[in-house]
Amino acid sequence: MFTDETLETVGAESLWRKSRLLQQESKTCQTAELKTAEVEVQAGDTSENATQTEADEHRTQHFALERESPIHYPGLGEFLQSVEGVVVKELKRNVKSHAFEGFEVNWEDQSETVSCLHALQYSEAQESGLQVTSLSWNTTGSVVACAYGRLDDGDWSTEKSFVCTWNLDRRGLNPKRPDLVIDVPTSVMCLSFHPSKPSLIAGGLYSGEVLVWDTSRTQDPLCARTAMSDETHREPVYQVHWVPGARRGDRFSVLSAGADGRILVWQLDSEGQLTLSDGFALVTQQVPRNIKLSKARGDSLLGVTSLSLCPWDSDMFLVGVEGGLVLKCSFSTRTPAAVSSPSSGLALRAPAQFSFSSHAGPIHAIHCSPFHRNLFLCAGMDGHAHLRSLLQATPLLSLRLSDSYLFSVRWSPTRPLVFAAATGQGSVVIFDLGRGSLRPAATIEQDAEGKPVYCLEFNPKQPHLLAAGNADGTVKIWQLSAELIEQGQREAAQLEQLANEATE
Amino acid sequence: MSEVEETLKRIQSHKGVIGTIVVNAEGIPIRTTLDNSTTVQYAGLLHQLTMKARSTVRDIDPQNDLTFLRVRSKKHEIMVAPDKEYLLIVIQNPSE
Repeated sequence: MFTDETLETVGAESLWRKSRLLQQESKTCQTAELKTAEVEVQAGDTSENATQTEADEHRTQHFALERESPIHYPGLGEFLQSVEGVVVKELKRNVKSHAFEGFEVNWEDQSETVSCLHALQYSEAQESGLQVTSLSWNTTGSVVACAYGRLDDGDWSTEKSFVCTWNLDRRGLNPKRPDLVIDVPTSVMCLSFHPSKPSLIAGGLYSGEVLVWDTSRTQDPLCARTAMSDETHREPVYQVHWVPGARRGDRFSVLSAGADGRILVWQLDSEGQLTLSDGFALVTQQVPRNIKLSKARGDSLLGVTSLSLCPWDSDMFLVGVEGGLVLKCSFSTRTPAAVSSPSSGLALRAPAQFSFSSHAGPIHAIHCSPFHRNLFLCAGMDGHAHLRSLLQATPLLSLRLSDSYLFSVRWSPTRPLVFAAATGQGSVVIFDLGRGSLRPAATIEQDAEGKPVYCLEFNPKQPHLLAAGNADGTVKIWQLSAELIEQGQREAAQLEQLANEATE
Repeated sequence: MSEVEETLKRIQSHKGVIGTIVVNAEGIPIRTTLDNSTTVQYAGLLHQLTMKARSTVRDIDPQNDLTFLRVRSKKHEIMVAPDKEYLLIVIQNPSE
């Protein structure tokens, strides 16, 4: 039944697998032959060129001689060569020489003591019990003007007062009779002569008006006044100054500062009116300060009691306010003041830029040093005079000059280290910073009864004269001793040293 | 810089020298290190003073002549070196 059988193998070809060999194709390619060629070039000759701008193309030619430097002065080189040796030898010897140390020459008669030259009084003013509130010397130094009023009265007074002038160089000087008496309706608080015209005086009144008088007019000396309007001062004007115009050659304007916190600049026009040209207001909240003025409301105005223009920087002025603050202000400020300005009026600006540490009590006087650009003095009701630098907030020196108030302080126009102060005890104290002691160099008893001295001024042209006005209506002209007037050799350098102590 | 400028710069850089002015025979300043108005003032005044000093010396002795002029004041010393055609003025502060 079952038998062995062999079968043939059966094969099936793959449908999907193909021989790879069939897929391969060979291809070759060859780039075409590159054609190259070599060539050389050489420059026969070369040249160079360069340009450079000249450094001094924009130099301003304000000095005509500089333009002429290319002009050759014949012989100048030889002259300088021959002379240089001699000059340099002398220069070196000079620096080492002790020949002139301690050598002083007296050209003028030296007065050893301080003496009172004149005691000027006006009887009518004295009868009404008026006090001398302000003094001013005119630009030639020969006329002194004084303003009468009251400084101790708090009331709104309408009593008449006077401005009197005396010409000290006139032969027939009568100390009891002024050369010119100007009647003024209310008390005059401050006075200032024009810096170049010897006959113009500006004065600020208790009622807030500012008046300008021309003493050369015989009929009516009043030459300009401010109209009473919303924009003028409504409170006593404590300081009046003449300010030079913005450009050289411009006329001077009058600056007035009052207890209402406003500082206004007026221009004189031809009709006898003072027109407002610029104005500033000191508002409490706009004053930069480190110490808070605790009790004052933010929008109240700070009354100005003293002001000083800086002779070195025409943009800056210093202001002392009622609360005892001293502020550095600028004329060119742009921030508007936070006061409601009248509808048609001038927009007031806030001038304060920096505040110094304060005094205890109103500041009665500030004065910038005529010899050093950063120093100034301020004196107030606490009897101290502070020497301050513009560069720092705290004072450099604090000197106690009097047990009572100090009403005025002024630098001497000839000696860089000397200043004078008017005290409430009736004396004028002259202090010399170069002496190194805390006691004054000289004390002048203006008034034996101890009535306060309210104002003092040095004569700009005759530096040995000092005028001081006191509460009983007398103006005394003092002649200072020579040692208080003549400048020593190293004073300017000592002042510089004092100022530099600040920054260290 | 030329010789002239270098010499003037050397003199100006000495201790205490405040200013140097070169003036010609007519009293007109030709080189200066100070400002315009001060230069003109110094040049005019010192030229006159030098001429006066020179004539003083020669009047006393015609064989003599001025070689150097020094004016000492409280604040500085002014030195003038004269010549036929020019004048060199140096202002020094000796106490510096």
